[in-house]
Amino acid sequence: MSEATQTAGAIATHDHADQPHHPGAGIYLIVALFLCVLTAMEITVFYVPALKTVIVPVLLVLAAAKFALIAMFFMHLKYDSWTLSGIFIFPLFIAAFMLASLMMLFAYLAHHLA
Amino acid sequence: MAAHPKPLHVEPANYLQGGGVIGWLTTVDHKRIAVLYGVSALLFLGLGGLEAMAIRIQLWAPGEHFISARAYNELFTMHGTSMLFLAVMPLLLGTFANFMLPLQIGARDVAFPRINALSFWVSLMGAILLHLGWFFGGLPDAGWFGYANLTERMYSPGLPLDFWTLGLIVAGASTILATLNFLVTLITMRAPGMSYMRMPMFCWAIMITSILVLLAFPPLTVGLIFLLMDRFFGTHFYIVSAGATPILWQHLFWLFGHPEVYIIALPAFGVISEVVPTFSRKPLFGYPMMAYSICLIAFLSYGVWGHHMFATGMGPVADAAFAVTSMLIAIPTGIKIFSWIATVWGGSLRMTTSFYFALGMILEFTFGGLSGIMHASAPIDLQQTDSYFVVAHFHYVLFGGAVFAILAGIFYWWPKVTGKMLSERLGKLQFWLTIIGFNGTFFPMHFLGMWGMPRRIYTYGAGLGWTHLNQLETVCAMILGLAFLVMYINMVWSIANGEKAPPDPWDGRSLEWSVASPPPVYNFARIPEVRGRDAWWIVKYGRTGSRGLAAYMSGKPPQPSAADLAPPAEPIHMPAPSIFPLILSIGVLVASLGVIIGEWRIVILGAVTLVVAAIAMGFEYPTFGQESHDPMAAPSSGGTDVRKVGIWSFIGSECLFFASLIATYIIYKGRNIGGPGAEILEIPLTSFSTFALLMSSLAMVLALAAIQRNDRTWMRVWLGTTIGLGLVFLGVEAYEFTHFYHEGLSLQTDLFGQSFFTLVGFHGAHVSIGVLWLATLWFASFGEKFDGSRSLSVELAGLYWHFVDIVWVIIFTLVYLMQQVKGA
Ligand code: HEM
Ligand SMILES: [Cu+2]
Repeated sequence: MSEATQTAGAIATHDHADQPHHPGAGIYLIVALFLCVLTAMEITVFYVPALKTVIVPVLLVLAAAKFALIAMFFMHLKYDSWTLSGIFIFPLFIAAFMLASLMMLFAYLAHHLA
Repeated sequence: MAAHPKPLHVEPANYLQGGGVIGWLTTVDHKRIAVLYGVSALLFLGLGGLEAMAIRIQLWAPGEHFISARAYNELFTMHGTSMLFLAVMPLLLGTFANFMLPLQIGARDVAFPRINALSFWVSLMGAILLHLGWFFGGLPDAGWFGYANLTERMYSPGLPLDFWTLGLIVAGASTILATLNFLVTLITMRAPGMSYMRMPMFCWAIMITSILVLLAFPPLTVGLIFLLMDRFFGTHFYIVSAGATPILWQHLFWLFGHPEVYIIALPAFGVISEVVPTFSRKPLFGYPMMAYSICLIAFLSYGVWGHHMFATGMGPVADAAFAVTSMLIAIPTGIKIFSWIATVWGGSLRMTTSFYFALGMILEFTFGGLSGIMHASAPIDLQQTDSYFVVAHFHYVLFGGAVFAILAGIFYWWPKVTGKMLSERLGKLQFWLTIIGFNGTFFPMHFLGMWGMPRRIYTYGAGLGWTHLNQLETVCAMILGLAFLVMYINMVWSIANGEKAPPDPWDGRSLEWSVASPPPVYNFARIPEVRGRDAWWIVKYGRTGSRGLAAYMSGKPPQPSAADLAPPAEPIHMPAPSIFPLILSIGVLVASLGVIIGEWRIVILGAVTLVVAAIAMGFEYPTFGQESHDPMAAPSSGGTDVRKVGIWSFIGSECLFFASLIATYIIYKGRNIGGPGAEILEIPLTSFSTFALLMSSLAMVLALAAIQRNDRTWMRVWLGTTIGLGLVFLGVEAYEFTHFYHEGLSLQTDLFGQSFFTLVGFHGAHVSIGVLWLATLWFASFGEKFDGSRSLSVELAGLYWHFVDIVWVIIFTLVYLMQQVKGA
């Protein structure tokens, strides 16, 4: 299938060459540091009573930040072809939509038919 | 791991020749796999048809005693399940897509040939499982959507439902594998010049369908896993007395079930979009709109599942939302119908059997779509649901839409697949029998439904006024059966003494018609260069569009020249055959069987077979997951390796798997009664394991960076660190689980316990698989050739590992840190 290899390469012009540029250890360490700090913040939020009222949005934002850091840097989505990001982001969107709808549907069920 | 098989140097003139039985059992050729799928699907189509005949005979007259009530339930359950999962989907995806995709995009095979073989064998095992109950006390009988809590042990004792549950999980897994392959193939393996907007519309349909499958099957799998756990481990996922609700099953099922409708319909639309332009001798009208409407239908189809559940009382807001989204789907669907009509309009038509069925499909499907819009309206649906009106509706869609398209496709592509022509006269006979039989069977069902006849009743009273129409239906169903008999006869006749097919019997537009019938093993001697849509027409007639084509009105279409069909000068390396897909799937069958009959030694035997075959498959070739011995064989699209696209698609699918588990956790946390709740979770301990897992991700990327600069030693160090931290995480989890167990929390105690253990347990299982994967890599890294060129193997494992980490980020937040927040 060697012929297929060479020719298929001609399709995607916007992509990088064979080995996409990956960040070095330095960036990885910085990202890891951020992850640790974010996690520490999460745990703090859990223990501070004053934050009780806003705990849900704050925790969601922190988790989203960790999520994005890992996906973009450790999983190289920032450096790889857009196709890969699309393959990941669309399912995430559907998953979030599904989660939110199910929660609302069952909240209704619990209040009206329980 | 056995010696590396030698690459096959292709000699036989076409893909059907040579190899004997072993050749078929070990084949990785997409065309042979398509034929295997086709043979099994045609068998199940026949079986499903016979089941339908038995149903109709039983309903011939009031108080009929042809079969028992129990047998009737078994028959409609198996009829629905087999028709959808074992006949229609395999024909559209397993056969048509498998055979035609690579040919239409100018490729020599799919992206992962051995996984393709695996899909077929696993699907066959699923089919066997679904039918094995026959020998163990009866077939499944809870309907094709198996509503909880009818499916619970207390209402469905015995083994039949166990077979149904596991059979569907297995069949679903095989479908996911198959479509993952298609998606990656379409993204990465298009011939030069074949941009997305030049792909045949069938390829578009399959591409979007694959995404639908990847994102729709996980909720079903999760729902089935819950059912399995209820039946085997005493959990209460659908048991009302424990505070749970069977409605959860309905949501998970229809989150799959409605997209499933489009998983069947979109490929059918794709077939019609190939057949109609060809026999109208015009390019497809409104190509971009056709492509976009496929995307829009797929997108909308995730937001409509509730229209199957209006009767459960979801509330006015949800009802209205689901009604609106359901009706919106009519817009893109209407676009497709008008585009087909506009394609036919003014064309120079050739009235072949294939075209007949395509026109029939447009008519009958539209009809089914119209009755669909009726019960998209919630108040109307309350009148129609569970009545024969619905049976009429979905047969107009599934039979009038999908099966008509399949028949059009069979008559269209049969010459390419077999090298023989089907009889047009028998074909026309079959068409008219089908039209009469189909409408005669299903049209009166609308009336019966409105007159109050419920679906799934095995008999009815004489005074209800339903008798005459039922008798009409039964007679017409027999005519329909006859139509299929004519088709099977036609097929046998064609293979025995049909006329030999030229490469391009229909004056085709797409590239499959530019190669011999049947095609050679390697598909294309030279990879074609694509200069526009309707690539093969352009080769034949130049870029003159429809005017030039209209000039060509009669006579035989120009065929590919002898030079075009000549074998290549140098041998082409094709992926070597492999026995492991078959062995792996046998492992799946044995393990499932062991679970069902409760013989744990058999489970272990099957599981070991499965794992060994999987590892052997992974390392059959030097680089993990590579499909051939030839280092150049892995096709790639500008730096994005197929395997990378593959693992990302898999990760996308996993998102929906975990989302379903998480949703269940949140919902059931709020309904917990008795037993310990989320306050039992300990933050300090889990913070520690969370930290370990985060740092393992760091170690993982450092391992990758090391191998990328050819530093094996450091790669091993970091990989070892990753494994170690993964084990720490698993150790803490094991401690945590036993600790909770001693505190009185188990799978059976309460809703919190079961959904917590299931969610976190499945995540833990993913971590364990990751550890295993990394460990095999670690050992493999001592091999001679493991250097920088293998960095992709490390990268792939890493992507999976990071994904598992990401899921933990979510679980840690939603489950642990938000423990005091109320559930839904
Ligand atoms: C040979 C032509 C066919 C006939 C005569 C036929 C007849 C029937 C009848 C009478 C029922 C209703 C049974 C009841 O509710 O008591 C039924 C159910 C069903 N049919 Fe068909 N059918 C045919 C083809 C198909 C095809 C091609 C498909 C799918 C692609 C299909 C899918 C289903 C499904 C999903 C059900 C629902 C089963 C359930 O209620 O669980 N049928 N069929
Ligand atoms: Cu639906």
